[in-house]
Amino acid sequence: MAARLAWAALGAALVVAPQALGPYYRSLALAILADVALAVAWAFFSGPTRYLSLATGAFFGAGAYTTAVVMARLPWPLPVLAAAVVAAAMALLVGTLALRLRGPYFAVFTFGLAELAKHTLIWFETSITGTVGRLLLSPPGPVTLYYTVLAVAGLAVTTATTLPRTRWGIALIGIGADEERAETLGVDTTRVKIGVFALSAAFMGAIGGAMAPRWTYLDPQVFNPLVSFQTVIMALLGGPATVAGPILGAVFLGLLSEILLVKFRYFYMLTLGLVLIVVVLALPGGLAGLTRRRRPACDSPRPTL
Amino acid sequence: MTVSPTLLLDIVVGGLTTGGIYALVALGLNLQYGLMRVLNVAHGEFLMLGAYLTYALHTGWGVNPLLTLLITGPTAFAVGLALHRLLYARLLEGDAPESIESRSLLLSFGLMFVLQNAALLLWSADLRGYSYLAIPLRWLGTVFPANRVLAAAIALSLGLAFYAYLRISLTGKAVRALMQEPEGARLVGIQTARIHALCFGAGIAMSAVTGSLVSMLFELTPFMGLPYTVTALVVVILGGLGNMLGCLAAGLLLGLVETAGVYLASSDIRLISSYAVLSLILILKPSGLFGR
Repeated sequence: MAARLAWAALGAALVVAPQALGPYYRSLALAILADVALAVAWAFFSGPTRYLSLATGAFFGAGAYTTAVVMARLPWPLPVLAAAVVAAAMALLVGTLALRLRGPYFAVFTFGLAELAKHTLIWFETSITGTVGRLLLSPPGPVTLYYTVLAVAGLAVTTATTLPRTRWGIALIGIGADEERAETLGVDTTRVKIGVFALSAAFMGAIGGAMAPRWTYLDPQVFNPLVSFQTVIMALLGGPATVAGPILGAVFLGLLSEILLVKFRYFYMLTLGLVLIVVVLALPGGLAGLTRRRRPACDSPRPTL
Repeated sequence: MTVSPTLLLDIVVGGLTTGGIYALVALGLNLQYGLMRVLNVAHGEFLMLGAYLTYALHTGWGVNPLLTLLITGPTAFAVGLALHRLLYARLLEGDAPESIESRSLLLSFGLMFVLQNAALLLWSADLRGYSYLAIPLRWLGTVFPANRVLAAAIALSLGLAFYAYLRISLTGKAVRALMQEPEGARLVGIQTARIHALCFGAGIAMSAVTGSLVSMLFELTPFMGLPYTVTALVVVILGGLGNMLGCLAAGLLLGLVETAGVYLASSDIRLISSYAVLSLILILKPSGLFGR
């Protein structure tokens, strides 16, 4: 009950925040909310299934670029929806190909995806359309953007809290514990994996789409592998097995990057690398959900997932 | 367009010189992955550091770039031993293989960030370079820069020498035994931790030495490492994980294919093609071209 009250109070505070905050803090809150949505969306797929996905940057980029292309033609929330659909479609395609791979193969494949998408887009834009980059004219106001990102983040958190109680959520935990056993027990593992992967990608795409108007000019460099790593680090830092974990990780890293990124860019990235090393070495508990693929058959899935 | 004999010779020599470099850098990655299941994505960062070390020694003290190999190699070997002791040894003890793979991958990504940005803080993002042995060699009507031929010859000889060492020496036999049958190797008294440390150091030394060679040919930036990591991954996966001879062959093959692509199509597609080849092999034949 107390937890529910706290969530309600937090939600209410976030809804009134843009009226109370100045432009600087509103923009900071916006960036952190976007990080929260990315980390939560990453964790509700990769947490239970233990598939280490580095595709966040690719889906985020696909969403952002989609918005940049369609924004002049569609009224505001629709470009975000289009971004979500494009990212989900990309995830369906990629998932069909890549979710058969396990362990580091899957991680390497998804890491390459952002680079492949970026270079393909550069090649496509230079040789077919003849332009690299898009101008985003007449973007929606900052308060509109704030509420858009807040809505996406809220939906992502709601999805992450309700998913473990659904049949698909339980199937995901089964896949993470022992994929073959889950399949033997009648779970359509391929469909569940690809479906939830696409759902998670839809949120990442929507965030990319909603954040795109913050830049007035967008080029294929928006497919940034750093986004993938930041998301993984946020989720692992907090612990990917819970919903609160990625949120806390995103808030912490969001504030850290705000302090360090602008003034000391290389120093920030260096710190990020050190944080990742420390998390992997010193916090194996936070990593347990991702890394221990196969557990003894008698060990039932832990309720924390 | 017709492929004249001269063009063919250009492609073959150009491809083999590129491929020799690829083969050595990939061999180091393959050694680490094949033995320890450590997919070291910071591998290219050590190449970058080796290149900068040679650059600093050559431009600062006038040391011959070839002689710097004798410095970069052992230094990188020592750094590898230290990194193994400080970071990887803890992961490699006791955990399940799948757990080691994901955690060491994340650890290497962390290391990549640290090294790349430390290099940026130290040397800035400016391009740096020097010229060494940029003499044209004329042969059968075509022209090659002497430094490229020399660099590739050294890289290939080092790769082959290491392969021979693995086949012949007692330590090499222990390495191969650990790759084939870790439990059995332990039973006959092979010291796993010691072999792991040596191979980790050797892998990083190979990457750094390749970097010293690359610094004679191309300009340096702190970002130069990642493309080599990707290329090395493609080569390792092409040749089959843990397969050393397959790795050398795949390095030469990739060099030939890339050079042919650049000559016959355009240089823009080089990056797309290496990621595309990587993705295709992962999907179609994860055991590699020469795997079972």
